[in-house]
Amino acid sequence: MRTRCNLYIFVCIIGIFLVLGPLNYAGANDFEQLRKDSVKIKTIQAHFVQKKSMKILSRPLISEGRFYYVAPDSFRWEYFKPLRSIVIAYKNNTKRYIASGGKMVEDKTGGAQAMKIVLNEVAGWMSGKFDQNPSFAATINEGANTRITLTPAEKSMTGMIEKIEITLSKKTATVQSVKITESSNNFTQINFDNVEINKAINPSVFQDAQ
Amino acid sequence: MKGIPLLILTIFLFSCQTLPLINSPVSPANEKALTCPSPFLKEKYRLVHAIETRVAGDTQSVIIGVTLADPSTRFVSCAIITAEGMVLFEAESGQDTLKVNRALPPFDSADFAKNMIEDIKLIFFTPEGKIQKKGNLPDGAAVCRYLEGNGDWIDVITDKSEGTAIKRYSSAGILKRHVKFNKTAGNIYQSIELQANEAFNYSLLMTLIEAQPVKNE
Repeated sequence: MRTRCNLYIFVCIIGIFLVLGPLNYAGANDFEQLRKDSVKIKTIQAHFVQKKSMKILSRPLISEGRFYYVAPDSFRWEYFKPLRSIVIAYKNNTKRYIASGGKMVEDKTGGAQAMKIVLNEVAGWMSGKFDQNPSFAATINEGANTRITLTPAEKSMTGMIEKIEITLSKKTATVQSVKITESSNNFTQINFDNVEINKAINPSVFQDAQ
Repeated sequence: MKGIPLLILTIFLFSCQTLPLINSPVSPANEKALTCPSPFLKEKYRLVHAIETRVAGDTQSVIIGVTLADPSTRFVSCAIITAEGMVLFEAESGQDTLKVNRALPPFDSADFAKNMIEDIKLIFFTPEGKIQKKGNLPDGAAVCRYLEGNGDWIDVITDKSEGTAIKRYSSAGILKRHVKFNKTAGNIYQSIELQANEAFNYSLLMTLIEAQPVKNE
């Protein structure tokens, strides 16, 4: 249950920061500004490449997929390769699907309840309430790009996630990458491209797992 | 009504496969000349598989399994990763050592790491035990039977139509694991099915994502 819960936190964190990427963060050290700006985001979609690095792998394991979000709480986080899988959150219902025998079937390892708990937490992040989430401590660093760093504040995350770094491009005002560090030689780097904001998304995206 | 106990007995007998008899070749010279099937690694390899878990034939979940295995030292390093990139389990094992670096629920039970490493060694390494018998099973498949140090029996079987398989039996002769290599041409590790007979039976269907020989690591 705890693992499943953290897995979905893992998935959702990635999505949340993609949503926050295009915000106007001229005063990015002001979390209140992030909260105000997040209201402007109605939909978002993007392609991503995920690189998993760890000691046992000589080269990163590369995955590819696509992300969709419609305010206030509809998500689709989909991997095309090497393993097809989809997490869909829609109308208070969150499910995970996996490819089996040429079709998508629901993941039966449970965790629906955990997913609900996570999504309640995520709802806070969606409103730009980084500094109000007791699970993570958030800091913002301005440089050539802006970097938000989240570090777990709760013991439940200890040994699972060390920190999360989100890099926002100043030039294009979109998220560039998310790096989730589990330990010193175990991290996941996700690079986003073709980010589209407030472009209409067909509702079937959140209803059809095929 | 009389048929029900008979049906239960039949199901029980089929679900508890026991160590089959091996018909030895007619002459000892022929037995000596019989080459044992060897679907095992010949050099150090890194393999990445998509692993589909099934209970009662029903797909439960799919994870990514990474295996680094060296047959010369019998060293194994392995990891279980979700599609999202989260590491659920990581361990390494030498000849007589086992070190768990990370184990999140439900992979944190006492026996999980030991069983997983044993399964990896069963699939990728030549059995450590001595060959006790060579010959043919009643269905005609060629087989070599090994006796392990703990008393378990391992049959390595090859059949023209069924391909290659490994079966592990307890010292009492009860089938515990059945590994089937579904690909007869190309990389033998392309598709592997492992059937486990435990308190509750389950199977793993492993589909190769990438395989890479490892030099100087």
